[in-house]
Amino acid sequence: MFNWESILDAIDAGVIVIDERRNIAAWNDWLEKASGRSASSVRGRNLFEVFDSSKLTRLQSAVADAFQFGSSSVLTHSLNTLLPLRDEVGQNLIHNVVVRPLYAEQITHCVLQITDVTVWVTRERVLRDRQNARYHAIVDSAPDAIITTSGDGTIQWFNAVAGRVFGLTTGDLRDQKLGALLTSQDSLTDIISAGDTEGAIFKSVAQLHGTKRDGTAADFDVSFAAWNADGRRFVTTIWRDVTERVAAEQALQLAQEALRKSNEELEQRVIERTNERELILRQLHESQKMETIGQLTGGVAHDFNNLLAVILGSLSLLRKGLPSDPRTSRLLDGAIQGAERGATLTKRLLAFARRQDLKLEAVEVQKLIPEMQDFLSQTIGPAISIILDIPVDIPPVKIDANQLELALMNLAVNSRDAMPNGGTLTISCRAESIDSSRLSPSLSAGDYIRVSLTDTGEGMSDETLSKATEPFFTTKGVGKGTGLGLSMVHGLTAQCGGAMTVASRVGRGTTVTLWLPTASAGELMASLSPQPPPPPLHKGRQLRILLVDDDFLVRANTALMMSDLGHVVVEASSATSALEALKQDTQIELVMTDYLMPGMNGIDLANAIRTRDPNLPIILTTGYAEIRPPSDLSFPRLPKPYTQDQLADIIDSVVKS
Amino acid sequence: MTVDIASDLTEIEKDALAEIANLGVSRAANSLRQMLGEQVFLTVPNVQIVGRQAASDLIGRGSRSPRFVAVQQSFDGPFAGKALLIFPEEQSLELVRTIVGEQHSLEDVIDLEQEALAETGNVILNACLATIANLLRRTMNMSLPAVIRGSGEALFGETAGNDNLVLFLYINFRTKERDIHGFIALLMDLPSITALKTIVTDYIRVIESGADQPRP
Repeated sequence: MFNWESILDAIDAGVIVIDERRNIAAWNDWLEKASGRSASSVRGRNLFEVFDSSKLTRLQSAVADAFQFGSSSVLTHSLNTLLPLRDEVGQNLIHNVVVRPLYAEQITHCVLQITDVTVWVTRERVLRDRQNARYHAIVDSAPDAIITTSGDGTIQWFNAVAGRVFGLTTGDLRDQKLGALLTSQDSLTDIISAGDTEGAIFKSVAQLHGTKRDGTAADFDVSFAAWNADGRRFVTTIWRDVTERVAAEQALQLAQEALRKSNEELEQRVIERTNERELILRQLHESQKMETIGQLTGGVAHDFNNLLAVILGSLSLLRKGLPSDPRTSRLLDGAIQGAERGATLTKRLLAFARRQDLKLEAVEVQKLIPEMQDFLSQTIGPAISIILDIPVDIPPVKIDANQLELALMNLAVNSRDAMPNGGTLTISCRAESIDSSRLSPSLSAGDYIRVSLTDTGEGMSDETLSKATEPFFTTKGVGKGTGLGLSMVHGLTAQCGGAMTVASRVGRGTTVTLWLPTASAGELMASLSPQPPPPPLHKGRQLRILLVDDDFLVRANTALMMSDLGHVVVEASSATSALEALKQDTQIELVMTDYLMPGMNGIDLANAIRTRDPNLPIILTTGYAEIRPPSDLSFPRLPKPYTQDQLADIIDSVVKS
Repeated sequence: MTVDIASDLTEIEKDALAEIANLGVSRAANSLRQMLGEQVFLTVPNVQIVGRQAASDLIGRGSRSPRFVAVQQSFDGPFAGKALLIFPEEQSLELVRTIVGEQHSLEDVIDLEQEALAETGNVILNACLATIANLLRRTMNMSLPAVIRGSGEALFGETAGNDNLVLFLYINFRTKERDIHGFIALLMDLPSITALKTIVTDYIRVIESGADQPRP
């Protein structure tokens, strides 16, 4: 007969059969091994006495239900503490228990089937560990910080990089909010903190700038992905640190900006320099034009001067020689006046041409100008008030005082004419230094006094202004002005090493500024020494005079005036013939020579004579101011044209000294 | 036809069925409390008898997920059919977590899901069927549980065989922290439904006659 119980022993699972009283009816081999109890030792015994019943309440009720209602139950290791079973090496057996009633007419028995799931559970764990290992290998080797939060923004998990970047440790995790990792102005951090995972922003990468908990600033590209598990919402954020990239981009942007600015500045400078160059070229052109006009004017004036000298000399001799007749006298006076006015005109022309005979000395404008004030007021009338703005400690200027007065007078008259309805004329003086950065074609570096005359008159247009200093340019209408006023002042300032500038706006007024070089200490001392008193006239003493002039007319005229004064005149037409004459005639007591002559000039001649006879007095006559210091200090000079009285005076003074 | 049958249930019958079901689930809750050491509240707020298609529609109503997980057991005896405990799939892990407790990690829960779900369903379905068996003072032949997953049509279609009607019970599964809504469906043929109605009628009569007997 076949032993059915051998089937139970053959099954690779635990099988226990119990009756209604829970007494064990069957206990297979598998259970003998797993429980360490033999079938014979447990058969007939109550199941819940064999196993500790206190831990098996669920099994008890499952068994009860099986008998009472026919229920089949599953008891798994996952929810229950089950039977104390071990494998062959003594490890706990992880197992499930199935309880099923056995049907006959009635339910008289129940079977418990015990399944070993150790292998299955272990495999699950190994698989899971492997999977986790792979997963962690991926996320921990990722170069980006990866942080998973729950829906409310609480950090659940982070990878190694995130730990490093944000200074997180696993101990931090409790209630740590993602938003606390980065302090930022960006509203995105609020959204992260609030855990608003529904927002559309979670579909894309966002860039965040902020401050980490350690206080360092950082930029991140952050991507978001929301997911659900276990009925809960999670958000995985991946943070790529782009601080360096952002910094590089910003640096690049700054560099580009700087380059752009630099380019703009360069362009601006090119424009400025071009404008400066154009201005300087215009000024150069202007000054060259004035130079040319000056040379031309000077040359013409020189010749006229000589002619006027002849005319004046002849006329004065004629008046002496002619019998006194009122009609003749009136004609002669008219001729002399005409010639004198011509002389004045040529003087002004020479002034413009910078060839006037200047007596440069140290002049204190703080004295000179106030002394002129009454005279100026009378000249320009009561409708115009004069304001003087001159510091008392201003340094003296090096100029010809008379010419400066004349220049100021000229300018004041111009101002008056510009203010027919009255106004204010302000004369101010300031000390200024011109250094190399402010050089202009007309001014060299040095110390200057800036004398400005500012009126509140009608002003000038740019076109008028550009021609204002040209000789014979006048706005005053025919017969009202010579057109030489500004030209003269321009020439004066240039000749004494300064410059003149004119600024004007139509309807606002005009400012004429004279830049006058300050006097050096030596010049100041010289001017402070008392002037020698004018020598008394010594008329009557006859002298033997050598007269040297290449111009026959001038020479003849001067010789006549000298003879008329009672002197004996030896004439020479050149320096060479003069020296020859001196060899021949040892009685010569005085030499008077023209300066500008073909061949050897007057200065060279005078020097040659002085080496031979240091005691022989020499007078230089000249229509030019071309004799440069110190030459002009060495010999007394007589500017052309001169009258007989002027001639007599200088002869007397020279002979006396 | 479905509607007709369903409407055949009077309000009293529906109340009585709900009471029977509540007896069953409270029995299940008791078992779960023993297992878990934590109070689990199970209630059945509503009962319906519907056709299979209607049952499929009912579980789909108000659920975002079109997929469900069900623990299924068949039974045989005075009446026969299949019993299903159904949850939306997205709540399946939630249910397991409720059962196994919060101390388990998500990974553990995933590992335990299949077994824990099967056992939990087994406990609840056994309790309900046992209650009916108890009322009948009969035993039934109940199968072991199987976990199945699929759409509403799948649950009430292929697996349903020739059983045309569904006793449909809403079940709320509540612990301190969670509140999960599921369904219990008993798929039966017409004779079984009729037998069930007889049980209900008897139950009502017993309660009405034995007024001194406390209501469950």
